[in-house]
Amino acid sequence: MIYLVILGLYAAFIVWTSIKSLKQAESMSDFTTGGHRMGLLLGIGTTTATWVSVASVMGVPGYLYSNGVSAIIGWVAGWFLATSLIPLVAYKIRRPKTPARTFPEYIHLRFEPFRKVSHLRTIVGLTMFVGYFLFVHLQVVGFGIVFSTITGIDYKFAIFAFLIFLLFTSIGGFWSVAATDTLNTSLIVIGVILGGASVLVAAGGWDSIVNTISTTTSPTNIGGEALAAGSMISPIGTFGLGALFAIFMSNAVGSIVSPHWVTRMLAPKNIKVAVLQIMGSVLVLTVIFIPLIIMGLGAKTLIPSLPEGQTTDYIIPVIIQQYTPPLVGALTLVALCAAAVSSANSMLLHCATSVYYDVYLNIFRNKKVTEKKFNMNLRIGMFLIAVIAVFSAITPPWFLAMGFTYVYGGFGAVFFAVVILGLYWKRMNRAAAYVSMLVGLATYVIAMIASATNPFLIALIASLIGVMAVVFLTKKPPVEAYEPYFETDISPSTEQVFTNVQRNEDKIVADGEEKMIKKDA
Amino acid sequence: MFIAFLIWIIIIIFALILGTYLCYRIEKHGVKRWGATGSLFKYNPKSEE
Repeated sequence: MIYLVILGLYAAFIVWTSIKSLKQAESMSDFTTGGHRMGLLLGIGTTTATWVSVASVMGVPGYLYSNGVSAIIGWVAGWFLATSLIPLVAYKIRRPKTPARTFPEYIHLRFEPFRKVSHLRTIVGLTMFVGYFLFVHLQVVGFGIVFSTITGIDYKFAIFAFLIFLLFTSIGGFWSVAATDTLNTSLIVIGVILGGASVLVAAGGWDSIVNTISTTTSPTNIGGEALAAGSMISPIGTFGLGALFAIFMSNAVGSIVSPHWVTRMLAPKNIKVAVLQIMGSVLVLTVIFIPLIIMGLGAKTLIPSLPEGQTTDYIIPVIIQQYTPPLVGALTLVALCAAAVSSANSMLLHCATSVYYDVYLNIFRNKKVTEKKFNMNLRIGMFLIAVIAVFSAITPPWFLAMGFTYVYGGFGAVFFAVVILGLYWKRMNRAAAYVSMLVGLATYVIAMIASATNPFLIALIASLIGVMAVVFLTKKPPVEAYEPYFETDISPSTEQVFTNVQRNEDKIVADGEEKMIKKDA
Repeated sequence: MFIAFLIWIIIIIFALILGTYLCYRIEKHGVKRWGATGSLFKYNPKSEE
């Protein structure tokens, strides 16, 4: 009962915050990047909440339970390395006086500033749509697992409750997402600390946990293959060096260039706030991950093997329910729901924005929509995508953490060159951008189908070879393409081109302005 | 087990060092719209106005 009460209070607070934030999303820039005016504390809150997803709070402890400490290297260290390097993106991408409002808009400005219709932008928008749809799908799966554990409702029906949370947290755009995220971060910190402490006590302390994982041979699932003694404390675990390196690289390099992190770096007031918000988030995330590691490893002491057929993604909800006091359990499980909601709302926003603003409105250049209509269409799009994501999650195909690794690998293969080389190498040009993205994507898909050990690394190398070949065989990019990212003061011609691109984006007009257009016509 | 935790801790320290270095660069450049306010870590919102 207490689980439902706490969950009900959380839901009520989400609805209240979302409706309150709704009034703040006035312009398109507000909707996507919060108008580039986000402060430090809100930045830390929203960055941390977006970072902590179901893959972090359920998937990683699941792998700690089944594979031991090697999961710390593969996922935790991989994601932390990415986070530590994200300020390098912020340091450059936030330089222009009027920064891009979406990730595909950055691609347009950096590589095709003279083109009204940017095909590169369309490709980026479509890739983002697929990637973020998969991310939302994974959050639905995680939420469904927790919600069915709390309520006892069958997983296949529990996932539909997610629509209510998504509907409310997404309608206000970026400010709604940021406001609810800050609440979610507080809940996650409190929930996992209480949960971690309870599991530590129930497992008999840290020494007992270490002793168990050093000697256990219990299979992950009852009736499964027994573990080799000591494999859970080995840094490589049962993955093997090649597979663990592949996971680490996908998580580390893929995350840095993921569009949602690049966009997050566009939201703060300035570069320094962007850098500081990441440093602050690293500290908060460390506080979150210590109890998560205790829970993942401690679970092996409490439940040596899961029932046959149950995935390791269930281990945290199961031990929380069985081994923590009801109030602590309720808070921890709501924290897991908060992790799912806070990541899904942000990713849903990227998913809908990419397909509507960067693909549809980029192709149909002559369409003029009012801000009101734009925001409404975006909300409808978000809700439709959420509905499809929920239906797709009825039979989940992947483990949560591994699903994230696949998508990050794909993002890294496609976007590494256009983000990192685009920001740090003046010579990176339009042709190289096309080659890097298309070669990276094709190679990654082929390597995945062929079950290669490290599809991300293969795709990244192929993409970079393509870039090097093309960059030196084609013309240098025009100064207007790179100047805003390399110089403090830009030339008048660059300023003109930059303004033109952003003006051309202004297909979204104010309500009164639309009446004027009709009158003129 | 020690190696796994050590790698994680080294990365956390690296994150803080890199962030500090970038804040130092921003201050050294002195460009206000980048966030230069004369203080390495403290962000002064009034400097934006």
